[in-house]
Formats: sequence, structure tokens, C-alpha cells
Amino acid sequence: MITVKNLHKRFGNLHVLKGVSNHVEQGEVVVVIGPSGSGKSTFLRCLNLLEEPDEGEVWVDGVQVNMPGVNINKVREEVGMVFQHFNLFPHKTALENITLAPIKVRGWDKKEAEAYAYELLDKVGLRDKARVYPDQLSGGQKQRVAIARALAMKPKVMLFDEPTSALDPEMIGEVLDVMKKLAKEGMTMVVVTHEMGFAREVGDRVLFMDEGFIIEENTPAELFTNPQNPRTQSFLSKIL
Amino acid sequence: MKKTGILLLVCALILGMAGTVVAKEVLRVGSDVAFPPFEYVDENTHEYTGFDMDMVRALAEEMGMEVEIYNVAWEGIIPGLLNGNYDLIASAMTITEERKMSVNFSDPYFNAEQVILVRINDDTIHGPDDLKGKAVAVQLGTTGDFVASDLPGLKKVARFAVVGEAIQELMNGNVAAVICDNLVAISYIQENPGKAKIVPGSFFPPEYYGFAINKNNPELLKKVNAALAELKANGTYDKIYNKWFGTN
Amino acid sequence: MDFRWDLIIRSMPVLLEGAWVTVKLTTIAVTIGLVIGTFVGMARTSKNKIVYGIASVYVDFIRGTPLLVQIFLVYMGLPQLLGFPIPVWIAAITSLGVNSGAYVAEIVRAGIQSIDRGQVEAARSLGMTHRQTMRYIILPQAFKRIIPPLGNEFIAMLKDSSLVAVISLEELMRKGQIIQTRTFRPFEIYLAVAVLYLIMTLTISRLVAFAERRLKTE
Repeated sequence: MITVKNLHKRFGNLHVLKGVSNHVEQGEVVVVIGPSGSGKSTFLRCLNLLEEPDEGEVWVDGVQVNMPGVNINKVREEVGMVFQHFNLFPHKTALENITLAPIKVRGWDKKEAEAYAYELLDKVGLRDKARVYPDQLSGGQKQRVAIARALAMKPKVMLFDEPTSALDPEMIGEVLDVMKKLAKEGMTMVVVTHEMGFAREVGDRVLFMDEGFIIEENTPAELFTNPQNPRTQSFLSKIL
Repeated sequence: MKKTGILLLVCALILGMAGTVVAKEVLRVGSDVAFPPFEYVDENTHEYTGFDMDMVRALAEEMGMEVEIYNVAWEGIIPGLLNGNYDLIASAMTITEERKMSVNFSDPYFNAEQVILVRINDDTIHGPDDLKGKAVAVQLGTTGDFVASDLPGLKKVARFAVVGEAIQELMNGNVAAVICDNLVAISYIQENPGKAKIVPGSFFPPEYYGFAINKNNPELLKKVNAALAELKANGTYDKIYNKWFGTN
Repeated sequence: MDFRWDLIIRSMPVLLEGAWVTVKLTTIAVTIGLVIGTFVGMARTSKNKIVYGIASVYVDFIRGTPLLVQIFLVYMGLPQLLGFPIPVWIAAITSLGVNSGAYVAEIVRAGIQSIDRGQVEAARSLGMTHRQTMRYIILPQAFKRIIPPLGNEFIAMLKDSSLVAVISLEELMRKGQIIQTRTFRPFEIYLAVAVLYLIMTLTISRLVAFAERRLKTE
């Protein structure tokens, strides 16, 4: 579903990605972990070209997307993204947040889009909040609406950029539950997170990134219990 | 150091003021110096020049005074006199009943007439009646303004702060005519041949220019009238008139 | 000291007529300014160097030269270039509108830049184009934020509109001047003119404050 080859990204003099390659299968749940500044968020943002890679290839669903002439908007329609700070549209209700892109981008009619939005609100358990503006929602509720918003485009892949890092501890569970549900339904997911429990429970594979490289990758069971690289060992010893 | 500097400056100022007072009394003259050939700024010397300027200098000399000219906007020229900013207005001002309610006027020193100025190729306007339904430009607050404002049937009166802008308005084609003093119109035609012409004929009552003086200063009025009479008697007036308007 | 109330009362119908012209003039000018300013403001956030450059030259020229000069340039100067006259109303709303556009552009630019980057990223990640993102996400939020400075711009334009008196447009200021040159009572007349301007500007600031409160609770 997603393939990256020798990805490089620089911000000025800062070399953030130093040649990252990987492949994500359809239906796979890949969890990316690593210390802050390791490049894991940049890696994720390169997958839907929120960051333009300086070198290397990004393939999504059989198309190389970082090529001149490729309609990046079309690619992004198929790749949903959930952000650390939710980024809900504050001037729109929860329902409008969800239906805006399907109507304006996919060209669905309003009724159709709303019907599907209610389905998604049911899925994230927030049907009663449809008419509410984001500033009246809790952090956990906001993130669940944000997930529903991304799902409304019926994407083939979902990217999660530290989706629980900005949440109060008591709200993390409700968001992870939604994500687990998605994983079980077979959604292809790439998740940057510090939630090791989530990685262990639903992750098919864990990537450990540090200093712009993927240092080590393995199944969660293997990686968490038997890390090979000393840097992985040191990182895991600090957070587990 | 700073204090001595200020002290010196103050001394210099006092001495300077004392000097002028001792030397000669000053006649402060207000004029809207943008009305050739009566008053305008000479392009080369950058001095205030024109018929009124020569008149007022001759008057002052006759009265044994020195002239100081204040260039002021026309629409504020009478309020400035009333406020005491200057003693006399020499600015091609027509003597009107309306103005006489606010200020005193000297004896007339010039006969003027309002004329209709049109574009050179305009053959449709032969008098005020032909201006019906048309727009006319004037200088705000001048006799031309008052005359135009009283004309029945005009489409509009466009009022400008400077007479040159009113004539520019005519040249740009926004209005059909300008109503202004005859000599202003003549001066424009002389400076810009082949652009505008005066509609022949006398359509508006004759008028007289006078020097305006504050009502609370009758002594000055008396002095000015005496000096004016002297200038007319001794030939100075004719000399100045011929300098600006050719033969008398 | 004498103060002629009767003069103020007698002048009022003419002054109100001028005030109405001022209101119309300002409203049209600010509307034009809003349209120009929205596009130029967006252009000022553009990564395209040419678009950014053109927008910047416009904003710098307008903000760096006196409005009075711009008015004369449009009304007296342009006809010379075009070969046909520009009606005074057109010249007035053009020069005021184009002037206002530059100031609104800076307000809009600041408004756009005040919106969190995450909003753009969220919209773009949903497949929305740059234009859709601007139209549905950024501008609606930016406009809510810039209502107070836009209100100030409206007030500034209302006051600055008095400058078109120089091209003979008879708005409030020029009506006052006309009466003054016939009555020679500048204090009464200009005081009345000032009070009328004050009433208009106070009304606008009240309306803006009201709109701001409404939008906040929404």
C-alpha cells in the first residue's frame, strides 16, 4: 500500500531524514516509535506530502506521489490524517467538520454526506455531539471527531501523528479504543505514538526511529522483549 | 552650555523683534497667491508677484510701512482677517454686500467682470442660457461661484479650491464651462493659446475689487483709502496697471 | 463672544445631505477595498514570487504616498493618459477604494497569518485544494478575527473621504466649506461638521463592537 525508498528531508541545515526505506502492506498496522527529534513525525508527514521529500520515492497504492505532475490532492483524498492537536475547524460544527471535504472534494450531496457522517459519529460514539462546535468538546471528543472527519473521505490509509499526546490521561483510552476498532476492521494504519500498550495490542510491526534512520523493526512482541540495537534498548528502558 | 545657548537665542529674538518695531510698522497682508495675474508665485524668482502684490507694496510704501505677505487658502481668507492673522486682504476680492457684513472694503481699485470660459472648439455656448443642463466649474467661494450658484437650471456646480483646478476640469471635459474673473480667463488663454476661449458679451453685473480690512481697524481703512487716492493721482496706479494689463 | 446657533440649525439640512454622501462614498469605497484587499492580502501570503511582488508594490505605493496625491492622480491625471474624462464620483470611489484596498490587504494578510498552520494542514490532508482551503477554512476564520481592525479601517476611510472635497465632490467637508465661504463663520460650521463626523464614527464603532460580540457567541 505504501512504499518509501531512500527518503531524505532537510530543514535548512538540519538533516531530519537520512535515507528511510520501508513498505506497508494493505491492512497492516505499523507503529512508529522513537525519541523526539528522531524524524518519525516528518517521516509520517512525507507520506501524504505535507512535507515534500528532498530525495527518494514515496509510493501510495501503486503511484509514485512525489513526482511533478501528480495531483497531490487526489492522493490525499485516499490518505487520512489525524493530528496531535486535532486541528478541527473551529467555525464548523462536528457534523460540518466531517461533511465538508466529502461535499467539496468528493462532490457528494449533502444528505449523502450527512448520513455517512452520522454513521461515523456512531462509530466514535458522538452522535449526540453532531451540532456542537469544537470548543465545546473535550480533548478526547475532539480527537474522535477528527478521526471521523478523516474517515469520511473513505481513505485507504490512515496516518496518526501522536494522536493521544495532547490529551489528558483519562481521555487517552477513548481515542485508542476507536483506533483499535479501526485496526480490527482491517484499516491500513501508520501510527506515530508513545502508547506502547496500543503498539503491543494491535500493531503488526513496530519501527524504531532515531536520528533520521529506521534503526530497528520487528513485531511488537519481539521488539519490546528482545531489542537488538543498543539505542532501541536504551530508549525502551526509559519508557517501559 | 545648553542654557547659554537658549539665553543667546532669546536675546537675539528680542533684539530682532525690537529692531523691526523700531524700523517700520508692518502691514500684514493676506492673499491666496494662486490667482494669476493678480497674485501668483513667480516660477523663476519664487516671489509673490502680480497686480495685487505690486499694488499692496506701493500702498505700503505710500503709508511708510513694510509689507509682509501671508499666503492663505481662499476659503479661509476672511476668517483669517477676522481672527487678526493679518491686517488687510489683497486677493482680487470683489466687493459684495454679503462680504460687507463681515469686513470693511477700501475704495474700489479694479473693475472686473465675470466671464464664461469654454473649450476652444465649443460653439454651443453663447451665454448663460446655453449652460442649462450643463455642469460648470468655479473656484469655491469666489464671485464666479456665487454667480454660478444663482444661475437657474445648471446640472451642477463643481467647486475647487484653486481656480487652476477648475480650468483643468474644463480641459478634462468634465464640465462645459468655467465662470471666473475676466482677467484670470485672459491670463489663462495667454499662457495656453489655442485651448480655451471667452464667450463674447457681458452677462453679469460689473464688479469692483477692494482691499478688505477688519471692521475694528477704521484707522487703517482711512490710511489705505488716502494712499490709494494718492497712487491714482500721482500715476503710480496707471504704471502698475499697464505693467499687468497693457493699455489702460 | 457670539455663537450663532441659528446658523448651525439653518445649515443642518445641507450638512446632512453632505453626511449622506460621505456615508455612501465610504461604504462603497470600503466594499471595493474589501474585495481588493482580500485578494491582495492572499497574494501577500503567496509563495509565488511574482504574485507576492506585484501585491507588495501595490501595497507599498498606496501606503507610502498621500491619499490626496492619489486622488489628484486619478481624477486630474488619468484623463490625460486615457484621453477621456472620469466622472468625479467614479474617481472618488476608485481612489478611495484602491487606497482602502492596500490597508485592508495588510489586515487580511495578518488575519490569514494568525490562523494556526494546523488548519491548513488538516484541510490539505483531506484533499482540499489551496483555493478550497482558503475559501472554506482560512478566510472565514480570518474574517472573524479581523472585524475590529476592519472597523478601524472603515472609520479611517470615513474621515479620509473628506479629502475628495478637493475634486469638488460635495460630501460633508465640502458642504461645510461652501457654507463657510458664504457666511464667514468657520467656528460654528466646522464644529457642526466635526460633530456629524463624530456621530458617524461612533455609530460605526458601536456596530463593530456589536458584530464582534455576536460572532464570538456564535
